[in-house]
Amino acid sequence: MAVALPAVVEELLSEMAAAVQESARIPDEHLLSLKFVFGSSAIQALDLVDRQSITLISSPSGRRVYQVLGSSGKTYICLASCHYCSCPAFAFSVLRKGESLLCKHLLAVYLSQVMRTCQQLCVSDKQLTDIFLMEKRQET
Amino acid sequence: MAETLRRVLSAGIAAWPGEENTAEAGPPLLLLGAPGSGKTALLFAAALEAAGEGRGPVLFLTRRPLQSLPCGTGATLDPMRLQKIRFQYSPSTRELFRFLCSAHETPGPAPSLLLLDGLEEYLAEDPGLEESAYLAALLLDTAAYFSHRLGPGRDCGLMVALQTQEEADSGDALHLALLQRYFPAQCWLQPDASGPGEHRHRVCLEPGGLGPRTEWWVTFRPGGEMTITPWHTQAGEPTLVCDTLSIPKECKVLSL
Repeated sequence: MAVALPAVVEELLSEMAAAVQESARIPDEHLLSLKFVFGSSAIQALDLVDRQSITLISSPSGRRVYQVLGSSGKTYICLASCHYCSCPAFAFSVLRKGESLLCKHLLAVYLSQVMRTCQQLCVSDKQLTDIFLMEKRQET
Repeated sequence: MAETLRRVLSAGIAAWPGEENTAEAGPPLLLLGAPGSGKTALLFAAALEAAGEGRGPVLFLTRRPLQSLPCGTGATLDPMRLQKIRFQYSPSTRELFRFLCSAHETPGPAPSLLLLDGLEEYLAEDPGLEESAYLAALLLDTAAYFSHRLGPGRDCGLMVALQTQEEADSGDALHLALLQRYFPAQCWLQPDASGPGEHRHRVCLEPGGLGPRTEWWVTFRPGGEMTITPWHTQAGEPTLVCDTLSIPKECKVLSL
C-alpha cells in the first residue's frame, strides 16, 4: 500500500508475528530492534498494546477503522488502509517534519495486529460514518 | 493506477511492451498540471478507458458538471461506456468529506476506478495540512474499501487531478510533498510550444515504485480534439534531459 513502511520494519513485524504464532511471546531481541528503530515510541506503543487501547471497529459493510485510546484519554483514529493517524504528533513529526516513520498510535496498531490483542467492535454503517466524520469535526 | 492512463496514452500504438489488461490497479496516481493543461480531458479519457474494460462502473467525483465532454483520443463516446461512468457532484469540501466518510453506505456495485477532479479547489477551501492529509488518506481508504467489495484479486484504482501553480510558495510545496506520500504514481503535464490554435503539452508518467518513466505529447486542436503521440517517435526533436524539464524545480527538491 501507499506510504509503505521501510522493508526493514516490515521484516521485523513479520518476524515478530511468526514468533508470536510459535511461542505466544515476542523474543527480547525483537523488542530491542523495535526500540532501536522507533526509540521511545516503541515503549509507548507497547504500553498502549498492554493496556488494550486499540480497537478495530467494523460495520456490516466490511469497512474498518482502528481507534486508539491515547495515554491522555483522548481517542484517535488510524486508517486501516494507509498510514494515517489523527493525532498531532503524526501531523507534526511524520507529515510536516518527516522526522518519524510513525506515531506511537500507528505503531501500536501494527503491534496489536502482530500480537493479536486488538479489541473488536461492531457498529452500524451509519455509526461508522459518524466515526469518520467526527475526526473531521475535531480538526476544525 | 498508471496502467489505465498508460493505455489511454498508448492507444493506437500496436505493441506496447508488457502491456496486459491486469486487474491490479497499481498505486494511486496524481495527475498534475497548470490550468488548461488538459487534466480533466485525460481524467475523462481514463474513465472511458476503464469503463470499456468490463471491470465494473467508474466513479467520477467533481465539484460541478463537466462543461463539455472532452473529445477522446479517437476513442468514441460510446453510450455503453458513458452509462458506466457515474458522476458524483460534491460542490464543497464538506460534502466531499461526507461522501468519502459514508462511501460504505452507498448501495450498488463497487466501482473499479475512482476519479477526482480539481483537488486543489477542495484543498483551498480547507487549507490546513492536517485536513489535506485526512482528505488524501480518506480517498485511499475509500478506494481500498471499494477493492474489498470487488473481491479477491480485483482492485479499485484511484486517480486524482491537482492543478499546480507556476509560482509555488513553500506552503504549496509542503502540500505537494504530503500528497506525493499518498500518491506514489504521478503524471505531469508540462506546457510546450504551441502552433496556431493548438495547445501542446508534454506528458510524463511515473508509475511509482521501480516502473519506467514514459513520455508523450498531447495536442489539443481548436475544436477540442485531443491527439496523443509518443515522445520517442518525434523525429528531429533534440534530446531533452527529462529531469530538468518534466518536473518543476520546487517539486524536485521535495520528491520523497
